[in-house]
Amino acid sequence: MNIYKYASPAAFYPVAGKMIPWFAIPAAILFVAGLYVGFFIAPTDFQQGDAYRIMFIHVPAAWMGMFLYVLMAIYAGIGWAFNARLSSMMASAIAVTGAMFTLLSLVTGAFWGKPTWGTWWVWDARMTSTLILLFLYAGFISLQAAIDDPRRADRAAAVLALVGVINVPIIYFSVQWWNTLHQGATIRILGKPSIAPPMLAAMLIMLAACWLYSVAVVLVRLRCIILEREQNASRFAEVNV
Amino acid sequence: MHWPDLSMGGYGFYVWGSYLFALVAIVWELVSLRQRKKALVKDESSSAVRAAVLRGSTNETTS
Repeated sequence: MNIYKYASPAAFYPVAGKMIPWFAIPAAILFVAGLYVGFFIAPTDFQQGDAYRIMFIHVPAAWMGMFLYVLMAIYAGIGWAFNARLSSMMASAIAVTGAMFTLLSLVTGAFWGKPTWGTWWVWDARMTSTLILLFLYAGFISLQAAIDDPRRADRAAAVLALVGVINVPIIYFSVQWWNTLHQGATIRILGKPSIAPPMLAAMLIMLAACWLYSVAVVLVRLRCIILEREQNASRFAEVNV
Repeated sequence: MHWPDLSMGGYGFYVWGSYLFALVAIVWELVSLRQRKKALVKDESSSAVRAAVLRGSTNETTS
């Protein structure tokens, strides 16, 4: 079986359609499971009371915002370097979902900040760099929309995405590099997490749900982009016969 | 299992506000995608394009 044929938008279109339910249905189940564990099983925090339950949506949204940006930049870079149209289309499809999760992390962070820090917003390193991430997503989406020729738009947006990727480690390490109101990492790749197991379970289930949701939604948007671009191309061909 | 206190110990506005915003954001994304799909289906030329894409006959065998 030649898997490289799926690098063609036309070949990938039906495959994407078949993949969507395999991600959408588990996403819905895991959202329900995550909220159940988060609200019915996880205990009240002794310091923050029930306000900490915002974490179950805030942390997965923040992680997804960063993860999707890196993924978008990789796809945009591959699309640019190898002239791979499907990769560039994938980057466009990821951008809106990534921006949505970044906005969600900022808004839920403000909702969490008010009762715990006494303020909706401060210009601390993590919040400012996350706001810059949202602007980078907005720039990527706007740049693609502003240039009529999709291939030129893909190339211009890829440059922005690749330059902007430097912001992701800045967001991640900001709590270590600067004094910020944000607490340090509660989950480490190496070492024990510093939160109770049911809290960790709820957060990880919600993270898995957000990831599955993102894949499903990105595939639906990718199918729309494939059709829109083919449609525009065929119209262009009709006009320029 | 324990039933959560709906007032969230006095933090109800912040907790439910966060989840309400998350719900609105996800519903907005799903509705806007649905509209985008509908607009494509409505457009007559897109059905021909879809058929061509599904046949893989859009003169494109490589990316």
